[in-house]
Amino acid sequence: MSAKNMEKVEQATNRKNISLPMSRVRLIMKSSPDVSCINQDALFLTTKATELFVQHLALSSYKNGSGKETNTLSYSDLANAAEESETFQFLTDILPKKILAREYLKSLEEMEKDADNL
Amino acid sequence: MDGDSSTTDTTQLGITGEYMTGGTYVLQTQDDDGDESFNDHEDGNGSKDHFREQDIYLPIANVARIMKNAIPQTGKIAKDAKECVQECVSEFISFITSEPLKLYLQKFREAMKGEKGITPVTVSEGLGEELTDDSFTFSVLKGLHNELMLCYFELTAGQLPAGLITADGQQQNVMVYTTSYQQIPGVQQIQFS
Repeated sequence: MSAKNMEKVEQATNRKNISLPMSRVRLIMKSSPDVSCINQDALFLTTKATELFVQHLALSSYKNGSGKETNTLSYSDLANAAEESETFQFLTDILPKKILAREYLKSLEEMEKDADNL
Repeated sequence: MDGDSSTTDTTQLGITGEYMTGGTYVLQTQDDDGDESFNDHEDGNGSKDHFREQDIYLPIANVARIMKNAIPQTGKIAKDAKECVQECVSEFISFITSEPLKLYLQKFREAMKGEKGITPVTVSEGLGEELTDDSFTFSVLKGLHNELMLCYFELTAGQLPAGLITADGQQQNVMVYTTSYQQIPGVQQIQFS
């Protein structure tokens, strides 16, 4: 892309107040299979959508979570949002709920005990 | 995306545990090693060569700032929550960089061709069955429509060559978003004047 065109793009994007680095967004997009080149429109659209996504995820999780008591957005708020909300379903794989190892082993034991009792 | 590596990463976050019965778990250690080596992103140089492809994230400072502006003024954000949103963001980008985006752009350009009065585009066909009309992605794309129009006009004001979206033939599975007039053999091209 020529310098003049890049300038235009930067002007346009600055006016739109993007706070995420488009070069990094492009990198992530390119890691998708079947994508070789990325149009500037597509890149801008994706970057802007990502911004809105972050806002939406943060606010939804905060509202539904422990925000009322602790005033803090925690990991578990995010995990709950991923599980409960339809629009965040695609995040369930990377936002699993956490459990301490000993609790898990304990519940395993109990399950085995139940199985024995049957 | 490789879900396993992300799961492994979250176990290193080392925060106090959450308990649940049923469903999926990730085991976490009791130790808080506080070492998030995959999360320094302020520099863009070759020191990141050792990162695997699926570890590409946006800078946590930017992500955290957006989060902070979204929640009420007095709210705070846990550190591991920021890191997780960072991962979610990469997942989101990969998620929409496929059928939804391609179809949206195609329809958008078709709408642009009829100069007088831009008609709104509907992309519900392209977003998959699981996403309804109320889904976030759809409303985000719809909401961005006007902004993108403005941006597009600014780009084309200097009479740049129009963008091509090329769809592949059946042999190769390559999606190309490009602004050049490249002739790619064996690829069907949609041209916009």
